[in-house]
Amino acid sequence: MSNFQRDVFINEIYDYAKENRNVFFISADFGAPALDKFRKNLPNQFIHSGISEQHMIDMAAGLALDGNHVYVYAMAPFISLRCLEQIKCSLAMMNLPVTILAVGVGLGYADAGPTHYLNEDISIMNSIVNLDISSPSDAISTRFIAEQTIKVPKLRYIRMERNNLENVYSSNFSFNKNGFEKIHQGENICILSYGYMLHKVLEAHERLSRENIKISVYDVISMKPLSSELIKDISKYEKIITVEEQTLNGGFGSLIINALSISGISSKKFKCLGLKEEYYFQNGGREFLLEESGLSSESIYNTIKNI
Amino acid sequence: MANTNIKDLENKSKWLRKTCFEMLLSVKQGHPGSILSQIEILVSLYYGGIIKFFKNEPFHPEKDKIIISKGHAAMGLYPIFADIGYFGKKEIENFGKSDCILKLFGNISIPGIDCTSGSLGHGLGVGCGFALSAKRKNTKNKTFIVLSEGEMYEGSIWESALFASHNSLDNLIVILDRNRNIILGDTEDCLALEPIKDKWMSFGFHVETVDGHSIVDLIDTFNNLDKIKNKSKIIIANTTKGKGISFMENKPNWHYWNPLSEDLIKKARSELSTNE
Repeated sequence: MSNFQRDVFINEIYDYAKENRNVFFISADFGAPALDKFRKNLPNQFIHSGISEQHMIDMAAGLALDGNHVYVYAMAPFISLRCLEQIKCSLAMMNLPVTILAVGVGLGYADAGPTHYLNEDISIMNSIVNLDISSPSDAISTRFIAEQTIKVPKLRYIRMERNNLENVYSSNFSFNKNGFEKIHQGENICILSYGYMLHKVLEAHERLSRENIKISVYDVISMKPLSSELIKDISKYEKIITVEEQTLNGGFGSLIINALSISGISSKKFKCLGLKEEYYFQNGGREFLLEESGLSSESIYNTIKNI
Repeated sequence: MANTNIKDLENKSKWLRKTCFEMLLSVKQGHPGSILSQIEILVSLYYGGIIKFFKNEPFHPEKDKIIISKGHAAMGLYPIFADIGYFGKKEIENFGKSDCILKLFGNISIPGIDCTSGSLGHGLGVGCGFALSAKRKNTKNKTFIVLSEGEMYEGSIWESALFASHNSLDNLIVILDRNRNIILGDTEDCLALEPIKDKWMSFGFHVETVDGHSIVDLIDTFNNLDKIKNKSKIIIANTTKGKGISFMENKPNWHYWNPLSEDLIKKARSELSTNE
């Protein structure tokens, strides 16, 4: 079975939808092998909205208001920024149980250029009231989030990776309910990341371990709400580093700093790594662009060594 | 049919217009132009036997849905909702007071309001969700949407029109309140919308055009729509913005409330009790 986040998620929803006729899955002309199965076997619960993300969100509101549990699915930049007002007015203001599935976050579509990048959605979506935000880092955490959407229907924005990622967690891993996992235990330095970039951090961590440098690594799966336990936990460290595939204005790093500040913690040393404040038009692909932005595992390693 | 006595319905229209004016006057804000142009549409729906509802039961699962997509005019429903027992009549008297459940714009915390509205261009999409839900579950519920022609400028309306048509949502009935005026003037001077009928027909809708202040025409047209299968429907209701108060009629500046002298208040009250 595919290990792609989108297939893992849709397969979970497929099993749920088979047993529950009130589950609807809407796609704005975005596909997946798992969706092919859904469309074929549950045609009455699948809806093609056309390449009309704004309409898709409004229609999802109507379906949800009528008592249905709705999933909307499209390429990440178009299901977030393009229909921001629909998300606010039709979903968030009425606080409806709709799950927004955004595939290809960060520089996932690097070769397509900045129209297809999503380098600012954490900042923007974080400001939407009633909306929870998650970023799974592998197939196992994706499955966990899919289960959460079934158990506790509410308005959620799920940021999914375009590419196949190696599993960070074992298949029977038991996730804690706070929305974060401490993957490695270190001493003075903690590093926080999520999604695709967590894998870069883990590569840097491996190299540091070989040099007997111990750092803590956190996978922040849920960035809204941000766990107060996480903030309490990281406040013990002398140095805190965040790594993300987003521009830094209002991004994940600033969420962490803001949360620490609200908790009255301000004397720590912070370093927020993210994309440069520019639109990349260069060829070279995702890894090249990450390197340009100081976000390769090598750069992350150097940052940690020098902090 | 609940009530086909046209004289009664015309009296209901007078009552609704007058009640809306007094509510607006009490808060000295709101959107009289758009609220007054849709009065006969709402009266036909609720008192002409068109929309299915259950007195005192705003959440009855078998009731038809209504969305005033031009959310600034949603308060036109409040007196009707109080009248059919969705909430107490004191809410109308208390309009604008801090403990009143009614707001300038409709939202789903108000019994009877099926969808929060306010920003233009969302109602048709949400309505598609209602209509599709009913279709897929084989229920008889219809969805009525009051759209302002000004919303035809929003691209999302046409996304939803494509969808409604492709999915043969014949349980979706749009009423276009064609009062011609947007904030800066006549639509045809600002940015032309015509030919409106051709546009909706080309999107696959069944289109009817009526005098939006004629209860007889409205009810006849609504009743005939039931015969049309497999197509979404739109009634272009030609109306007068600010209808019923002469100094507001067709005046773009009465899109929003303006200060009124005692003389003009008297004039408006007099016209609302004697006109038509």
